Amino acid sequence: MYTHQGQDIFVIDGHTHLWDASPANWRNKYGEGWIKCFYAFHSALSPAEVTWPFEKFCQYGEETMVDDLFLNGYVDMGILNSTYLYEFYLNGFNSHTQNNAIKAKYPDRFILCGSFDPRAEEAGLDAFRHMVADYPIQGLKLYTAEWRDGSRGWRLNDPWAYKYFALCQELGIKNMHVHKGPTVYPLSRDAFDVHDVDYAATDFPDLNFIVEHVGLPRLEDFCWIATQESNVYAGLSVAMAFSRLRPRYFAEIIANLLFWLGPDKLCFGSDYAIWSPKWLIEKFMAFELPDDIKQEYSVDLTLEIKRKILGENAARLYGIDIATQKAKLRQDGIGAKLATVA
Amino acid sequence: MMHNGVQCEFPPGYDGAVLLERLQPILDPELDESILQLGFIRSLHVHDGHATVVVQLPTSWCAANFAYMMADDIRRALLTVEGLHHVTVRLQDHFAAEAIETAVNAGKSFADAFPGEGCGSLHALRMTFLHKGFTSRQERLLRALRAAGFVPEDICALRVGDVVVQGDACVVQRAGQAPREIDAAETLCRYLARRAELGLDCAATAPLMTDRCGQPLTVERLEAYYQAARTVRVSLEANGLFCRTLLTVCQPGVGERRR
Repeated sequence: MYTHQGQDIFVIDGHTHLWDASPANWRNKYGEGWIKCFYAFHSALSPAEVTWPFEKFCQYGEETMVDDLFLNGYVDMGILNSTYLYEFYLNGFNSHTQNNAIKAKYPDRFILCGSFDPRAEEAGLDAFRHMVADYPIQGLKLYTAEWRDGSRGWRLNDPWAYKYFALCQELGIKNMHVHKGPTVYPLSRDAFDVHDVDYAATDFPDLNFIVEHVGLPRLEDFCWIATQESNVYAGLSVAMAFSRLRPRYFAEIIANLLFWLGPDKLCFGSDYAIWSPKWLIEKFMAFELPDDIKQEYSVDLTLEIKRKILGENAARLYGIDIATQKAKLRQDGIGAKLATVA
Repeated sequence: MMHNGVQCEFPPGYDGAVLLERLQPILDPELDESILQLGFIRSLHVHDGHATVVVQLPTSWCAANFAYMMADDIRRALLTVEGLHHVTVRLQDHFAAEAIETAVNAGKSFADAFPGEGCGSLHALRMTFLHKGFTSRQERLLRALRAAGFVPEDICALRVGDVVVQGDACVVQRAGQAPREIDAAETLCRYLARRAELGLDCAATAPLMTDRCGQPLTVERLEAYYQAARTVRVSLEANGLFCRTLLTVCQPGVGERRR
């Protein structure tokens, strides 16, 4: 909970991970390269005082995550974006099984995302049903750049992906957190291309597509698609991290998103542990759009809009009644600890 | 010794400036910025007519296709230098360094670098980004014109010959009207250079503002066109900024210093 001039602001961190990227879990040089790339993101944009040593960044554990999100980071609830990467990590990078360990301890604090990989075809459909039956899966994280058996990725409009979307509808899983990565089949195409979101969102109007990192580095294509499709949302992680070092660009990105998508489609995310919610939220709450940008885009980032972005929009997507949820959260172990501090 | 932030080693008496000049126009196709300015070229060594260039991209996961394009462009550009018979490009800390270096240094295609991975030609990808660059460069000029008080009717009536470079500035100069300075000369030059590269009419009498297919922008269309172009520019610039910031981690000081 962030408190602004005596008012409580409910915070849902739309993009969090509890990963194991310790060297013992690296399958090959890609496992090492992956976490070093994340570490470069972390150290390039984090304030010095919250930049971790590499060893801690590889594996930080549940307790650190609870501290950084809930006890010190103003977050009320976090969405666990499971990312598997079995070709890089022996036990996976942060699978739903790994993430479920912390979800099981704090069931009201977390929303657990599972996933599917359409390249598993028929056999994967059964496994998907089992995952949904065995785990409290409320949404999916779809990582289209995952390597698998020599393939460097897939697209949301692949015929097999559509069979999985149809199954999601049947099972009542509505929210798809979509992320692109750098290497997708075929390699000659733009690996960050977001146009497949357009097809899937049109063909599955009952599902919501939350495009993580606001489609960056293809913000323009993302904005265009999100303007056409009422079920496409923006996940703000990565963009948030610009707020400290590059506030002017942060302002321009936010102004574009408000201009094209409006205030009801934007969801806060830290991408923890790449960045930590505490400083992102403090920066965001203190942030105002410069006057020239307000004027040019005819938008403003008001307190009401900040509330929507930080929690209300994601709550709506997941059917969370904020007042009821707040009461529940006061009762868990974290709520009790927070009460003693206050 | 250092040239433009690149660690250089040349034979005694060798003039390496020409090599850097050839590297200067090579762009990161995705960012539409010079790789030299971005700080991607780490070192350049020449020995016995053989140039070795070490490239450091912002992350080890930079897309293989763009990495190939930059490496291939570097090799081709340097092979045009008199006296250089052999060019070796090295990609430092890149997940696909081996495949890309092997293909590029042997003059082979992208498809040869990744056989069986659905690699067609990179032409379509390059065109997509040349077009994005066009839009972004044009947006800067449009923005400058708007800021200088030009209304849509004025903007759509302008011809290429109405805007000229004067010293460091670009200036709108129409018959019977006082000249008006609108922006840095670079804004106009970059726009016209890309326009020419795309094969669009750059004659003095051609309309100044056209879409990427050469269709003149109409007054009715201008506002919506500008709004979309603005997002392209923000996207490209934000990406460039992100890459530059990341590069400061793998080469402390570099991305920042060169800007």
